[in-house]
Amino acid sequence: MFFISKQKQIELELSRYYEKVNACLTAFHDGIRQYCQKPDQDRLRENFQAVHKHESRADDLRREIEVIMYSKSVFPESRGDILSLLEAVDKVPNTTEWVMNMILTHNIIIPETLSSDILELVEVCYLCVRALLDSAEKLFTDFTNATVAIGRVDELETEADHLEFRLYEQIFKKEPSLDPMHKILLRELVRNIAAISDRAENAGDLIRIIVAKRKT
Amino acid sequence: MIQLAPLSGGIFLGWSLGANNGANVFGTAVASRIVSFQRAALLCGAAIILGALLQGQAGIDTYSRLFPGDSMKLLLITSAVAAITMTGMTLLHLPVSTSQAIVGAICGIGLATESMQWHLLTRIVICWLVTPVGAIGIAWLIYVLLGAFFKHIPMSMLTRDKIIWSGLIIVGTYGAYALGANNVANATGIFSGRIAHLTDRHLTLVGGLAIALGVATFSKRIMHAVGSGIMPLDGFTSLVAVLAMSITVHIFAMIGVPVSSSQAIVGAIIGIGINKGIWAVKLKPLRNIAIGWLMTPIISLILAAAAYAVFV
Repeated sequence: MFFISKQKQIELELSRYYEKVNACLTAFHDGIRQYCQKPDQDRLRENFQAVHKHESRADDLRREIEVIMYSKSVFPESRGDILSLLEAVDKVPNTTEWVMNMILTHNIIIPETLSSDILELVEVCYLCVRALLDSAEKLFTDFTNATVAIGRVDELETEADHLEFRLYEQIFKKEPSLDPMHKILLRELVRNIAAISDRAENAGDLIRIIVAKRKT
Repeated sequence: MIQLAPLSGGIFLGWSLGANNGANVFGTAVASRIVSFQRAALLCGAAIILGALLQGQAGIDTYSRLFPGDSMKLLLITSAVAAITMTGMTLLHLPVSTSQAIVGAICGIGLATESMQWHLLTRIVICWLVTPVGAIGIAWLIYVLLGAFFKHIPMSMLTRDKIIWSGLIIVGTYGAYALGANNVANATGIFSGRIAHLTDRHLTLVGGLAIALGVATFSKRIMHAVGSGIMPLDGFTSLVAVLAMSITVHIFAMIGVPVSSSQAIVGAIIGIGINKGIWAVKLKPLRNIAIGWLMTPIISLILAAAAYAVFV
């Protein structure tokens, strides 16, 4: 019974962790949308605080899970897989926090001509991470079907890549009025937003390996 | 006391058997750190002794009938030749079966004394041939059934891992029981009814203890080296392989013919390979195994016949 409750505890903590990652991502999505519609630094700071809070809580949960994992209640193979996956997923909230921080500290203004495409990129990254989280949760309910959603992660990551390159073109070819430094900052911003889907894809690849290792 | 001297060869055979075959039942679990070596050795040793005591008699009867004569000298030659063959083959890094070493030695003596029990030998050789084939079939079936269970029943990966790794400990213990029941005769079977004051119950206990001692003292390195054999095994395939091996060896324990657990596990792995794609099976180690299997009884037979000619 002790062993069963330990497993349930791990699954519960992991579920809470994914909820926090999702909350972090939602706050990031809302924050960027609001900033694109109305570039208000104070409002953005509030949203950044929300992202930071969720990211910190996700970090705390990850550490708690790591401690439980090392209390010898999980088989070594499962432990290694889950810890690698946590490490990979953890890069997603870290990146969202970094993007928000970058806009705030570098005081990046998003031109109106680019805002709809940047919002579209954020939306695609958001959906990509949601698909990843669906897949990660499936590992603990129906692991053989966990890879179904990974195909969606790959599709969305490719879409994010296309949007990223389209935005680079827009920034450097179609916005002659922009200051060169502003262009470089915008390029960095786009690159970092697109990195969210890259991180999701990397974590998705790990899920694929975890399932493949257990394929019968 | 002098009467007990030939028994030392049997004890050595039992010890060697335990040292080499402990990895067949608990290798993956120990190498994957699912269970510590100490705990595995304890479980394995207890199950081997239990198997030897409860179901080792049939194999002992078979060897007792196969062995010609009652002389202490013949007992000493047989057990010493089997032990030398085992050691030599191990030093040559060739896979070796204790059953084949001891039966080869008995046959050497049987041919030299012109008292071969051909019908018994035929039965034993048929069982040797059926062992890997049976294990292939059993492993194939278990793989299909267990595979379908894990594929079609939705579960957490942690539940799946728990079932497999806990199963590996349970199946390993069963395998050790089957090993003790089947292989105890290799250690002490030929002494049955030939040493004063030693009953078959004593012989199964001594043989079981010798095998358990081999597991406890010398199988650690082999257990940790598991997985580099004829096919890399994960938790699931190990579970299937050990279960198929255990069932096969247990069936022959009930029939009363000691067989090689290594041959059974190789058959089981081939059975898994047929399911996974035969390309997964490495051919070079298989060739070495085939050479070892052919050479062991032949070398043992020649050495025993030669020793008879020299010493008797």
